[in-house]
Amino acid sequence: MTLPTPLTPDQVYHRCPLDQLDFSTTDSLEDLELPCGQERVLRALEFGASMQADGFNLFVLGPAGAGKHELVERFLARHADQQPVPSDWCHVHNFEFPDRPRAIRLAAGEGRQLKKDMNDLSGELRTAIPAAFESEEYQARLQELQEEMTKRQHQGLYDIQEEANANNIAMITTPAGFTFAPMRNGEVIDPEEYKKFSDEEKELIESKVEELQKKLQQNIQQIPRLRKEVRERVHALNEEMVQLTLGGPIGELREKWQHLPEVVEHLDAIREDVVEHAEAFEDTGNGPPTGLLGRYRINLLVDNSETTGAPVIYEDLPNHQHLTGQIEHRARQGTLYTDFTLIKGGAVHRANGGYLIIDARRILSQPMAWESLKRILFSSEIRIESLERLYGLASTISLQPEPIPVTVKVVLLGDRILYYLLSHYDPDFLDLFKVEADFEDDLNRDDDSYGLYARMIATMARHLKCRPLGRDAVARLIEQASRLAADQRKLTAHDRVLRDLISEADHWANKAGMATIGVDQVQQAIDEREFRASRIRERSREQIARGIVMIATEGETVGQVNGLSVLKLGASMFGQPTRITATARPGKAQVVDIEREAKLGGPIHSKAVMILSRFLASHYAGEGELSLSASLAFEQSYGGVEGDSASVAETCVLLSAISRLPLRQSLAVTGSMNQHGEVQAVGGVNEKIEGFFDVCREAGKVHGQGVILPASNVEHLMLNSDVRKAIADGDFSIYPVSHINQAIELLTGMEAGEPDENGEFPEASFNRAVANRLFQFAEVSKKQDDSEGSIDSNGGAGRD
Amino acid sequence: MTDTGRPAGQPPAGGRILVLIDGSRTSYGALEAAADIAGKRDADILGVFVEELNLLRSAGYGFSREVGSASGISRPLDPEILQRRMRRLADHARAALAGAVKQHGGRAALSVARGRVIDEVLALAGPDDLLVLGRAGWSSPAGARLGSTARGLIQQSPGQVLLWCEQKLPSPNRVVVFLNDHDEANHRATLAAAEISRHYHQPVTIILGNDGEPAADQLDAIRQDLDVLGAGTRLRIISDTDPVSIARMLREERASQLVISRRCALFDEPGAEHLLAALNLPVTVTP
Repeated sequence: MTLPTPLTPDQVYHRCPLDQLDFSTTDSLEDLELPCGQERVLRALEFGASMQADGFNLFVLGPAGAGKHELVERFLARHADQQPVPSDWCHVHNFEFPDRPRAIRLAAGEGRQLKKDMNDLSGELRTAIPAAFESEEYQARLQELQEEMTKRQHQGLYDIQEEANANNIAMITTPAGFTFAPMRNGEVIDPEEYKKFSDEEKELIESKVEELQKKLQQNIQQIPRLRKEVRERVHALNEEMVQLTLGGPIGELREKWQHLPEVVEHLDAIREDVVEHAEAFEDTGNGPPTGLLGRYRINLLVDNSETTGAPVIYEDLPNHQHLTGQIEHRARQGTLYTDFTLIKGGAVHRANGGYLIIDARRILSQPMAWESLKRILFSSEIRIESLERLYGLASTISLQPEPIPVTVKVVLLGDRILYYLLSHYDPDFLDLFKVEADFEDDLNRDDDSYGLYARMIATMARHLKCRPLGRDAVARLIEQASRLAADQRKLTAHDRVLRDLISEADHWANKAGMATIGVDQVQQAIDEREFRASRIRERSREQIARGIVMIATEGETVGQVNGLSVLKLGASMFGQPTRITATARPGKAQVVDIEREAKLGGPIHSKAVMILSRFLASHYAGEGELSLSASLAFEQSYGGVEGDSASVAETCVLLSAISRLPLRQSLAVTGSMNQHGEVQAVGGVNEKIEGFFDVCREAGKVHGQGVILPASNVEHLMLNSDVRKAIADGDFSIYPVSHINQAIELLTGMEAGEPDENGEFPEASFNRAVANRLFQFAEVSKKQDDSEGSIDSNGGAGRD
Repeated sequence: MTDTGRPAGQPPAGGRILVLIDGSRTSYGALEAAADIAGKRDADILGVFVEELNLLRSAGYGFSREVGSASGISRPLDPEILQRRMRRLADHARAALAGAVKQHGGRAALSVARGRVIDEVLALAGPDDLLVLGRAGWSSPAGARLGSTARGLIQQSPGQVLLWCEQKLPSPNRVVVFLNDHDEANHRATLAAAEISRHYHQPVTIILGNDGEPAADQLDAIRQDLDVLGAGTRLRIISDTDPVSIARMLREERASQLVISRRCALFDEPGAEHLLAALNLPVTVTP
């Protein structure tokens, strides 16, 4: 097998070709309205925003800082601009059921007009109605009515009294009513004298008294009817006066608003109400009560008079009240009261007919908010209900406003994990959020993308009000974008990191008094960011340099190799070497993963160790018996190990332990391996290589060291300039390997050796040495088994 | 007779305030007004409660029944129940009188008599006394605007009579005196109005009811009286003296009280009934 060639500096870093950037500074570049490389999201947004059917709301998923919010808002603003302005909505008093205020839909801008009209009407009622009631005409007619009533009532009594007098009977008023008694000369006859009357006389008088009593009774019993009649006539009079007074203003309004039957209906209800409460308007001293007039106003819940296109609303605190609106209360003399003017609209009201953008994590963390939003979307109407009532915590009098029909497109923004969790656990979720807009993490890096990416950077810089970037600075940013994507053929789509870099570079340009941001400022921004996050990394390196953590970077040792691991702390990552050791002796065919035994190894690591032990058995023992008791450990590792990226290193160190052949300590190894010994790609290669390079540099001179990595990882390399320089100088090498044998050859300097048709490895090859040692182990084990077996049989015979 | 606050038998120093109490709501309103006036005039109050003979007699008939003024229900009228009721009303009147005096100051006595109301009152009233009574007593709930007792006393009382009634007009602020062509009566009415105006700090409006142009000497007499009435006095002359026109003018003037002489043609029957029906304010009738 031929040894792999070390990589050249060009292979470990994909430079941005400056000839692809035909501008001197980003000032000459046009703004990019929508980001490049996000076609999937844009198509999803376009579809979701235009799709009319129910449930086609959007969930825009992507990592935090990907610029979801800005993109969605920009896209929707452009999309909504072409759409019609939605209606205004107002609540008005319901005269029939005061606790259920009515909702009226008006064309955009009409709400404000109606509000003004109703305020004017209310003001007019305040003066015009009392004036009408004060008028001489009204007073005279009222007086006439009352007089007529009194006259009719009194006339009846008067007639009875006259009839009684004519029959010499007195009608006498008592404290509680009337009584009749015979009289003479205007005086009631003394009862003693009456006894002397003849029976005929008495009979005549008593029958007359009885007749008069009956008449009086009938007369008195008619009085309530008379009173009612008067009341009705007074009411009719009031109505007439009000009709006459209101005829003008209400008539005008009716005509003006005749295209809206609900408004006309409401105006008629106001007229009825004024008539009903005419007496309250009669109080000329204080005027009609404010509460009464307040009911004739409107509560303009949604005012779209100044909206252009469909509204795009972002609710940054999406709690229940802010979404669905609320009914406020006022305290008056220790009691809480409310009316329709205290109904406040929510974000859904404002977004009705347009788009509502909500952060998924925030809405899920607010009590009831998610359920409320789902209820609105399911029912297509907003019902304002206070949270305390929903929970049954408050028993103050409240309102149940008429629900308002709603057509709103909700756009949720959130992490992918939230989308998948909601899809899995909330059965309603996929019914309501059918459009998934998945953000790309990376963009393709090809010749077409340079120009677009440069324009995107230019747009960002302008939005951030930063200096323009020079061409080389843009090129450096593009290279950094590849590094962030950890791929030579990709560019990161992570908006936030790029913005931060531009802002920081601008800061350094400002410090340096530069008019444009140059490559040095971009590099300084990158270096400074790295430096700020380097405390832990430096502590770790220091421990290695001082020998507290043992890492050898030169010489050869049996059963010991440098593995590479990556640590992620916050937003930064760094790599560092870890010493992996192995031991081997004859035994029951097993490889002990010390990490796993100590419960420090994760399941993927355990899987990798199992794979390598099976590889060992099948590759070296063939059909023979494998007798091996081996162990693997990550030395001085106390925080747990996970992942399979060390399996190539583990295989090599284990083989070295078995064969007792030393491994070169100047090379560090990373890569995962399958059961056939093929080397597979791993993550974090840039950090790993740079980590080992730094350790080598701190241990002394970098000369002859290097890293073995999977060949499939080469296109992920975007190494820093120090490493590239060392590579160019021939001091540091990176070997891409595709099979474990290549790694073995690099680490041992021996031929690994392929098995012939009999499964035999060539003489003096590394694999032959391994196979031979394993054969010896098997022999030893066999002897031990035989001797144990004879002891057993002897013992058994002895027992017999 | 029952006295409150004054030794029995001692004659009043000046004109007294006689108030007729029959236990009706209007009569208690009249009592309040009387106590107020007494406080202002520093006069004594004499409450008059009369157990009407006719009523007591009518209860003595076995067949007599009482028809309720509100319900129209007829029930037997028992003399004993009636007696008890009378006693209770008298007690209540006494307590109300004491209460009113306590509030407004002065001295008070209650005269309880049995007989005909008008006779009993006239027996007690002198020419300097002011007689205060409700416009209608127990008959007011049945719609009567002017009770028979009030009607009789207006005509026969030797002194001034104040027919009390609850006022409905908001914020009244003038005393209106109605004059006609009887100079002496006019003068008496003017003086009465001047006193009321002084007590209540309200200006006076004189309404002169006249068919044609008022005579020059009559106007002179009135102008003299205007000096008595003080600044702010207004004179209005009307030719149309029907009750409705007068009522309208009184409303316009925001009248708190009307002063009128019993000799005024308006007060001739049946005009008084119509006028009072059109008015809802206290009326002082001068001799």
